[in-house]
Amino acid sequence: MESTVSVSKGVFLFSKGLNKKHSQKKSNPNLFDNIFKKEPWYVTYKRNWKYIENKLTELHCKTYSMLLNDMVNYINSFYFNNETDECGSIIPSATLLTGVNQPDHVSQFTALISKIRQEVTSHIAMVNSQDAPTLKHLVENTVWQLIHGYEALDDIESKDSQDNNEIKKIKKSQCTLKVLLKWYNSKYITVSPKKKKCIRMKRSLVIIIPDFESFNCNVLQDFVMIISSYVPALPIVFVFGVATAVSALHKSLPYHVSSKLLIKVFHSHSSPVYMNQVLEDIFLTHTSPFHLSGKAFELLTDVFLFYDFSVTGLVQSIKYCMMDHYYGDNMKALCCERENIEETVRNLSTDDLESIRQLLSFRPFLEAQLDCQTRINLFEDDDFFREVLCTEINKLHDYMYTFYVCVRLLSVLVTDLPKNVLGKSVREIYTKCAVECVTGTQGFKECMQLLNFQSQMKLVENIKQALKIINAALQVVSPVKPLRSTPTKNNLNNIQLSNDIGEKFVKTIRVHLLMFSRQIENANTETCILTDNIEKGDDNSENIPGNRYKLKEKLLKATRVDKIQSEFEMVRSRFVSYLEEMFNKGLQPPHTQIFHEIFFFSDVASVKKHIVGSPRGALHTALSNPIHYLQCSCCLLASSESVVDTLPDVCLAYKLHRECGKHINLFDWLQAFAAVLRPEDDDDQRQQDTNIHIRFTRAVAELQFLGFIKSSKRKTDHVMRLTW
Amino acid sequence: MASGFPLRFPCKSIIENPDENTNLSSRRGLRNRKKPKKYGEFLDLSPTKHRTLIDVESSDEEEEELEKEFCLQKPTALFSDDDVEGQDIFKFKSRHTKQDLHNKVKAAISNSPKVDTPTKTPKKNIVSRTLNSPFGKNNEATPKHVKDLIKKRIIQEVESDSDNSDFSASSSDFVPEGSDNESSESSSSSRTSEEEEEEQIKYTNKLQIVKNKGNKGKVKDSEYVVTPDNYFMMHSSKKITTSDHTLARLKNLNLTEKIDEGTEISDEHKTKIMELNQSYEQLFHKWLYVLSENFNIILYGIGSKRSVLHQFQMEKLQDFPCIVINGFFPGLTIKNVIETIIIDLLGNSHVPSNVGDIVKLISMQLIENDIDLFLIIHNIDGTMLRNSKAQTMLSNISQIKNVHTIATIDHINAPLLWDHSKLSKFKFTWWDVTTFLPYTEETSYENSIMSHRSGALQLSSLRSVYQSLTTNAKGIFNIIIGYQLENQKQAHYQGLPFKDLYSKSREQFLVSSDLALRAQLTEFIDHKLVKIKRTCDGSENLVIPIENSLLQQFLEQDS
Repeated sequence: MESTVSVSKGVFLFSKGLNKKHSQKKSNPNLFDNIFKKEPWYVTYKRNWKYIENKLTELHCKTYSMLLNDMVNYINSFYFNNETDECGSIIPSATLLTGVNQPDHVSQFTALISKIRQEVTSHIAMVNSQDAPTLKHLVENTVWQLIHGYEALDDIESKDSQDNNEIKKIKKSQCTLKVLLKWYNSKYITVSPKKKKCIRMKRSLVIIIPDFESFNCNVLQDFVMIISSYVPALPIVFVFGVATAVSALHKSLPYHVSSKLLIKVFHSHSSPVYMNQVLEDIFLTHTSPFHLSGKAFELLTDVFLFYDFSVTGLVQSIKYCMMDHYYGDNMKALCCERENIEETVRNLSTDDLESIRQLLSFRPFLEAQLDCQTRINLFEDDDFFREVLCTEINKLHDYMYTFYVCVRLLSVLVTDLPKNVLGKSVREIYTKCAVECVTGTQGFKECMQLLNFQSQMKLVENIKQALKIINAALQVVSPVKPLRSTPTKNNLNNIQLSNDIGEKFVKTIRVHLLMFSRQIENANTETCILTDNIEKGDDNSENIPGNRYKLKEKLLKATRVDKIQSEFEMVRSRFVSYLEEMFNKGLQPPHTQIFHEIFFFSDVASVKKHIVGSPRGALHTALSNPIHYLQCSCCLLASSESVVDTLPDVCLAYKLHRECGKHINLFDWLQAFAAVLRPEDDDDQRQQDTNIHIRFTRAVAELQFLGFIKSSKRKTDHVMRLTW
Repeated sequence: MASGFPLRFPCKSIIENPDENTNLSSRRGLRNRKKPKKYGEFLDLSPTKHRTLIDVESSDEEEEELEKEFCLQKPTALFSDDDVEGQDIFKFKSRHTKQDLHNKVKAAISNSPKVDTPTKTPKKNIVSRTLNSPFGKNNEATPKHVKDLIKKRIIQEVESDSDNSDFSASSSDFVPEGSDNESSESSSSSRTSEEEEEEQIKYTNKLQIVKNKGNKGKVKDSEYVVTPDNYFMMHSSKKITTSDHTLARLKNLNLTEKIDEGTEISDEHKTKIMELNQSYEQLFHKWLYVLSENFNIILYGIGSKRSVLHQFQMEKLQDFPCIVINGFFPGLTIKNVIETIIIDLLGNSHVPSNVGDIVKLISMQLIENDIDLFLIIHNIDGTMLRNSKAQTMLSNISQIKNVHTIATIDHINAPLLWDHSKLSKFKFTWWDVTTFLPYTEETSYENSIMSHRSGALQLSSLRSVYQSLTTNAKGIFNIIIGYQLENQKQAHYQGLPFKDLYSKSREQFLVSSDLALRAQLTEFIDHKLVKIKRTCDGSENLVIPIENSLLQQFLEQDS
């Protein structure tokens, strides 16, 4: 401890283990792996996270591909088609509107760079604002990267070693645009006698400025002006990443500068869209090895929507949840592919099984077993329990499969309903479904009512979409056989949902949906009009206005008349009630399932503290109610405002200071402090007591350190309160 | 992640029971008129809603529209009931008066059973003349206050069943509850039984218990409606409404010697604090796990966290290269940190100039040599690390895969250091490590308000310089002190004119010539014992830049 206290130094190096590492460099590839490697949960976690990571990169490529292609085409279109461009000193530039979620941009730009490198040119420079505080730095960085970016590719081509050596000699401090020009000419223009290098395709130079707003305006203006004077000789293209709006570009670049730029604007995806995609495609699927309970999911999306808008951040939070979920718990090894369940179950130790028995969701299952012997076996016979566990986990997998399919179905049917009672996106509906049994909620009932009013066309469309989803889901499990069963009309009335869940359940849903879609398509809506006409005739016949009651009766009758249904309406209401039944079965919330703890992460409270943190709240709680942390019997407070003499000194000083205004008189404060501590002494005694002075001094110093007060020159012996 | 401020901002709860409708409606009617537009939303609450949380921030008109466009979503999981209420921390106290402190102390003392009030009564009357007396002022309580009290009681009776009083916006903050004593007694008895149970519970479960207890033990705070006007009211008046007492009234404020002695902590607290700190050791393994997954760790909570981190380093990081950074050290620069990494650890000869290059170099060399570097930063919010440059650098270094950062924060506004791009680079996970240990090292560098004010340091340095002076020089200095003390009542004390000093010194045979006196004065000035002020007529006046009270003390003790 003392080794890190010094009056002359603030940084201390402990290079233990460093030398050792040098000697046995290859022996342990990752130090952390050594610590955790043996634990099954860690292995599972690593494997599952890798799976998710791969999925993420895949999705990432997919989402960005459109945009990137557009940009690359745009960049390609210059300096290639017609050499003698008439633009003169105008620099072609692409402006990418990125949105405010800056943390995500890194990946976006790296994707862009690799794309450009593949398809356009190897000469790319990306300069962040932090690396270019002045024009000199900016130019040096850009030129250096442009020249050396070539090298990176050159290693593969491995040609012209002579040239390479020449280039390597360029130091960063020597990099100017003149050097760049010379280098470029020697590279592409000069006709070398040996090879036909001049024919080699000319490559344009791309300069990427990812965070336009954080650059110093003057630096950028000068830079653009300088570059524009080189454009006739060097094929340079700019890419600006703008977080806010195009107007930022115009604001920071005056006319004489922006006139040198040929700007085309590209829009990237808005991050909520991307987030929805990430969640729907990766985490809200039955294939995901890790599931978030409704509350946890809500928390993470809230952090995203209300704090940072960063998908990277969201993924990191999910990663943290996942880490927390798996940490130190071997039963989580069961989060594996279906095929491996048996093996994993076999490998579980007796202790692990014991902890599984202790899961809360195991109890209802146990109580459901009527046979005493089975109950005892469940507890005592590990092998028997393993078997049960296997089947139950399989069931759980089936359940998840149906659950997610149902969530998607519901979202398709519900999204375009007015008012969006259940929400628009799959994730919103998922949260609703995961928190409670959705079919019992008011929102669901409203939705079903609204469905009951939907038009024929819309309904058919929806069902078709639902079928698409089901087909996709079935395809994941097994290739779908062409459906040959044409449902007959007579079995329509006794549709019964079979008891099993999983694939079969989904297949039956598919059959039923097909049937309904056909029926709804064919059903005619005529009847309704017909009955209406009849009624109208009746109305006309006795058109004599009677008294009020008669009128009322008539009106009532009229409402009743409307209820006469057309064929379509009948089918529709049957369809809706079918949906209700089906969802009721398929959308049981996860926490009703046995062993759901293994797959579903639900410990929101602890994770929330670690993801969002509340430093100020913790300080406040500790200072105003120390018993929260100390668990002592002496500091029990009647209310958070009250004061007791046993409180720690800082707490006492804190509480007293909260009674003061903007300025605090130190003497009065001290007197109050002393009076609480020594109520039986009189003033003089208190003023004599150095011990109290010391304690008070320390408490004040700590409060100052915590930032609650600061010294003030306004009045002698006063301090300023920094909170109010 | 995020900004680390999960505080619930101004919310209000309205409880409406149908049977109270008559009462409430009249009161609410009054309020409707007074309410600024911002609060319009509060009034829209339909009677069916019992508890509605509304963000004042988002209820601005423009934002309202924006919100409608975007979606009418409220965070649902971010906030929970056990959050600390925002207005509880940032509460606007409507009106601070001189009496607030007294009231508080009075309440505290009257609560504590030790006080023997009857014997003290005679004294009370004597002392009550001085404002600072903790007692007294019983009958001088502001009538406004009394009014409030009565008002409160009436309201309490009316709404005896509702905790969330609608009427919490009253001007006084001091809410004496009639049932205070009873409730505290009853709860304390129940508490003790709980306590006993708890002792028996194994140590390993402690953390769990802490969490559970926290919710139980927390007293429901009455809620306050934020009235921003109060903030401006408080800050508009330049006048300081505190008493004019100074620390000079204290007889012996001599803190120099004993300042480092242990503070008085009760034994129970000692053991509890120790237990609390030991409980954090169970987190070490998890921390390592978190760090290994490329998250970084930030520790918050009151109390010095140095020992916890030290323990962590000793237990888990023995085999790794570590760099310990004392952010509270006043001489620290970010350059020191970088140099330690690049030159001392990695053995390079020079440090590149810009951020990108530094980060590239470090990450390259660390990966090449397969080193996992741990940065332990005590007080990443320390004064010298508060600039954005330092934080950018630290965030960029922490971002490197092989660098693992564990930092602590103490300042209440520390999270303001980071914008969200920095935060995303840091990838912090937040850990509440409240230790209640004294900030001995952390505050040792700081210029404490009290010790500075008490002038102990000044006094002792003055003394040591004084002792090294010749007798003649001492005499001269005494003349200046004497003059200054004589004239301290003057509103604009200009100092002792040089001419006068010379004549006085000559009278006492202290100097023989103008030049000798000047030579003597130069010495004083070098030691900053004396300052020369030039007046507009060109004469030189001598002033001692030390408070008069200190000089008085000095004279009494030394001459």
